[in-house]
Amino acid sequence: MRGPISFLMLLVLAGGAWAAEIHPPSQATAGVSFSMSSSGTGQGTFYLIGPAHVAKHQVSLGGNIDVDGTEIEHAGRYTAILCTDQCSATTFYVHAAEPDRLSLLVHPSRVPVSNPNAISAVAFVWDAFHNLEFSPQTVKFTVNPSEHSSISQARTSSNGIAWIRLTSAAKGGPAKIEASIGKTSETRVVQQVASDACNLRIKGSSVSHKVLVETDPVRDCSGNFVPDGTVVSFTMTDSTGKTTVDVPIKRGVAKVEIPATGHARITAASGVATGNELDLAGGAE
Amino acid sequence: MRTHLLQIAGQVALAVFIVMLILAGASGVTADDSLPKVLLNADNLGPRSIEDRTAEVVPRDYAFAWRTMAQALEQNRAELLDGYFAGLAKDNLSHLIADQKQSNVRVRYLDHGHKLEALFYSPAGDAMQLRDHASLGIDVMDGDKVIHSEQVNLQYIVLMTPGADRWLVRDLEIVPETKP
Repeated sequence: MRGPISFLMLLVLAGGAWAAEIHPPSQATAGVSFSMSSSGTGQGTFYLIGPAHVAKHQVSLGGNIDVDGTEIEHAGRYTAILCTDQCSATTFYVHAAEPDRLSLLVHPSRVPVSNPNAISAVAFVWDAFHNLEFSPQTVKFTVNPSEHSSISQARTSSNGIAWIRLTSAAKGGPAKIEASIGKTSETRVVQQVASDACNLRIKGSSVSHKVLVETDPVRDCSGNFVPDGTVVSFTMTDSTGKTTVDVPIKRGVAKVEIPATGHARITAASGVATGNELDLAGGAE
Repeated sequence: MRTHLLQIAGQVALAVFIVMLILAGASGVTADDSLPKVLLNADNLGPRSIEDRTAEVVPRDYAFAWRTMAQALEQNRAELLDGYFAGLAKDNLSHLIADQKQSNVRVRYLDHGHKLEALFYSPAGDAMQLRDHASLGIDVMDGDKVIHSEQVNLQYIVLMTPGADRWLVRDLEIVPETKP
């Protein structure tokens, strides 16, 4: 008789030393409330430690412990601890909710026309709580040039990131680059500007002891006007030697006056483009 | 005479002892000594190739970020995050520290090192995503009492962006461990 009684007493004593346990779900979703069951009786202290949140509550053991959605808005690993005389802990992961937001990085903000793979667009896919969406998602990239129909391509995200390289259009002007997923979209504008000058043409005349030279309107190889400020270098060779003058383009053309003695030969260059040669009779030697 | 020699020998020994103490102390306060070990593998990185200098500074700055994060969480000092955190990562950790202050519950990290695997480097070089295999000891403390302690290997997905003179941690999320 003493044997079973001693065994029961041991069980009761051991039971007092057992820590109450909690059983969270295998996985939870950011922002979605849930309950976890607990064992034991009486009162305990419940701790929830997450990536951006720490909570401490008094709870009744043996029932469900409610975790509000606002306590698990951040995806990641959570530690749930239940303490009575002793503490027991368990961990669970909270996953991102449905895709809801995009961040879009587009570079550069200005790009020369007809430049292959010159524009890059990187989209980050987030849920409503700014958790990166790690499951693969289809992101649609759309380019809306100012004077042409739009072009779209889809990319699948990896670890929350989708990206694409784009070639700038042949014609200058703003292009809207949009990334979208479901009803969410983000747009950036890239200014497509003329590329380097192409086929420089110069014309001129000689007046007294100087020559006047100017370019035709300077365009790139696609016919876009090269921006004002782009430098054209005029080089003149006459009987006194060689003279080079750098002139910025103003209102589409570059023009210069250079003192000259006798016969003068003039050339012009901008970037890698060179123009025609001009022979002019300058002033008296 | 003998007493005088003994006094001189004693003074020399004392001076040597003091110099050794100073040297030992000086070597013990260098900043790098307490940095966690961080190894970077950028073999499979794309679409942009990593520059030599970037391959040096990313693991260095990530180590500084972890050291300051551990200090910030242990000391409840959100201002320590300013140096190496930005954006969501800084917001989340600041929020965690605010909750720690309110609840008197703290998280303490014992950092055993990180193996970084670079996953994505944007074409323009303005963002890098990495996977961190971190080996950590984590203590959860209520006041001064440790209520939970564990040794874990955790997998983080990290987003870093370049700042003026360093790379900053912009997002830091723990994900379930995936087997290769």
